[in-house]
Amino acid sequence: MSAVPEPALGESGRNRHSGRRLSSRRRFTALALAPALVMLVALSLPPTIGVIGLAFRNASLLSPTSRWIGFGNFVLLWGDRRFFNSLEVSIIWEIVTVSGTMILAILLGILIFERVRGGLRDIICLALILPILIPRVSAGLIWRFMYSPLMGVVNYPFQLAGLQPIEFLSRPSLALYAVAIVDVWQWGLFFAVIVLKLLESLPAGPLEAARLDRAASWEVHWFVSLPMLRPPLVTMAFIKAIESLRSFDLIYAMTGGGPGIATETLDLYVYQRGFAMSGQISYAAAMSVLLLVVSTLAFSVLWKLTQLWSR
Amino acid sequence: MLSGRTFKTAPSDDHLHQLDINKEEAERTMSIKKRAGICLLGVELALGALPQTAGAADQPCVGKVPTIRAIAQPIPTITFLDSVKGDFEKKWATKIEIQQFGESERRAKSRLDASQGTGAYQVYYIDEANVAEFATSKWVLPLLHYMPKDWDWNDFLEGRRAVATYQGTVWFAPFMGGGDLMMYRKDIMTQKGLQPPKSLDDLTKVVAALNDPPRMYGTSLRGRRGSGMNVWRWTPFFRGMGGQWFDGDKPVFNSDAAVKATKYYINLLKYAPPGSSTNTWSEVIEGFRGGQVGLIIESDVMGPWAEDTTKSRIAGRVGYAPPPDPLPSAGFAHGFAISAKGNPTECSKTVSAEFVAWSTSKEMEARKVKAGILSDFARRSTLDNPEFKARINPDYIQGLRDTAPKTDLLIWKSPLWPEVGDDLGLELEQVFTGSQPDIKQALDSAVSQAEQVVKRAADK
Repeated sequence: MSAVPEPALGESGRNRHSGRRLSSRRRFTALALAPALVMLVALSLPPTIGVIGLAFRNASLLSPTSRWIGFGNFVLLWGDRRFFNSLEVSIIWEIVTVSGTMILAILLGILIFERVRGGLRDIICLALILPILIPRVSAGLIWRFMYSPLMGVVNYPFQLAGLQPIEFLSRPSLALYAVAIVDVWQWGLFFAVIVLKLLESLPAGPLEAARLDRAASWEVHWFVSLPMLRPPLVTMAFIKAIESLRSFDLIYAMTGGGPGIATETLDLYVYQRGFAMSGQISYAAAMSVLLLVVSTLAFSVLWKLTQLWSR
Repeated sequence: MLSGRTFKTAPSDDHLHQLDINKEEAERTMSIKKRAGICLLGVELALGALPQTAGAADQPCVGKVPTIRAIAQPIPTITFLDSVKGDFEKKWATKIEIQQFGESERRAKSRLDASQGTGAYQVYYIDEANVAEFATSKWVLPLLHYMPKDWDWNDFLEGRRAVATYQGTVWFAPFMGGGDLMMYRKDIMTQKGLQPPKSLDDLTKVVAALNDPPRMYGTSLRGRRGSGMNVWRWTPFFRGMGGQWFDGDKPVFNSDAAVKATKYYINLLKYAPPGSSTNTWSEVIEGFRGGQVGLIIESDVMGPWAEDTTKSRIAGRVGYAPPPDPLPSAGFAHGFAISAKGNPTECSKTVSAEFVAWSTSKEMEARKVKAGILSDFARRSTLDNPEFKARINPDYIQGLRDTAPKTDLLIWKSPLWPEVGDDLGLELEQVFTGSQPDIKQALDSAVSQAEQVVKRAADK
């Protein structure tokens, strides 16, 4: 009895086979993500709905009762100078910390890639990761002390030179940037290690070819390695932008939103209004809802742009 | 139980006769009973030698409350209580947890817990700034109803009792308090031929004369926002210059007196160390006892801190005097109160009350003195304590005595004070840091916010 050979798969057969594999992969992906997504929805949806409901009432921590006031809180926000100030501070904070982190990370990553070899490179990487391991509040308190005009190490050289110490955290024009330095110190050094590892993962050929063409180091990186690393760099910037929205702990530990309202970001103002100062939780909820809507829209647009820039 | 019981030591002849037992048996019986009686008497005496254990053992609530959680802020008293709480825990078979936060965070967190009825804390740390709020909102229980009889409320100093009382009811048990005191470097003042200032003009001149940056600054003041922070330090200047908080229902703390007081305060800040515009009281005292500031007007509890040889560079070189006229002295008190929602059962209320009583008892104040804590006291008996008198700087005591007549509660005693005070504190911080150059506009803004606060409260 002769074996009947299997008919060879034609093109349509191959397409059907790969289509089934793709659909099975999608199913597997969906099943793998489902538990985490269900938990995320279960834990975040009820409080989100609760906050949205609270935003349309006049609830306060000092009173057991509240009533529906419609868009009353949102109308009040429109005339709240401090709310607009907090939006402005938040935007400045985002721009300064994201750009500061990425610039430091890229410059430092390239410097180490070019100048440091062997075991020393690993030791430096370890040292650069240490700041991000420090809890944010601890880092904030340490730096607050370091910035102290009377007792801090940052001002010590000025005092030795007989100069007036600088009030980093008391001057409205300096405070936000002084706090941003701490954020950039933690994240920028950590991202520098990531950039370094990305550079190490690049194929050596294009870089060598550029050097053979007598390109200077900066030209090699500006025209060759950085364009090759665009997708991961853009993703890192996106992640940092999301992370910078959650800098409440650092700013609170260092300045509490002061001096005045110079470092009061929107999340900090929400906290002050809702809990620390007034207990006006409905008003704070209205601000939170606005923050949710604005950041969802902004980051959706940013995500699309990220995918575009990554190509 | 055992107390008050009498023992029969030997049966009477008639009794023996009635029982119809022979003499030998009677003697044996008598001997056994005697021995038993002596043993029982011995047990009673032994138990009586441990009065607390006997008292707690009588208590049905011993062991019924697993944990008492107190919210507090880090001051010497709280640190000490945390170190000796084992005594209370053993007696009541209850674990004590004291959670400590910075002053502003402590107020915010306790308000959040109380207002939401979460009941995470059984004991609240209360002060003059929020006693009215907590009392009016019924977040704490009337204290005297739950305290043991031997706790002796009348032993507390009058000023402390007054602050702890709102609308005729006592709401918290104070463990520290006082007023303001002017503290200065008497060695440097003597060197420069200066006298402690008695008027505001004198104060300006003395502070200017002491000012020699960067080695020495004339004074230091609170700048950080908060009803208990910069507002607390600004208020004596405001009230001393004739300012009032309210005229009927209308807030009037944007008056000429308020503007004048703020200008004076800003002028003093010129002689303060860099960064003072956002200083907390912690930075003020650290600058002073670090030897970098010549004169401060601050809460009198900081006097013993300045004399602490383990932490102060200027111990033994500090002079004390009342604040110069017309400044009044800002009276304050801090203590423990019993949470209403945090103590749902009678046993929980009992044990919480016992903890509050134990923390603020005469014995505890004596223990604190023995441990070297001289800044935190609230009882008359402590002032009479020979050990306290021997350890405390007599100049400090004299300063307290001289300041007492002008000590009073200077803030607006209302449940709305924390919000009104915090809004004012933010405006003042903006003025002190220069981000708001127009003082009148800042005060008008604070008054406008206060009007909204009052209106919201009235609408509820």
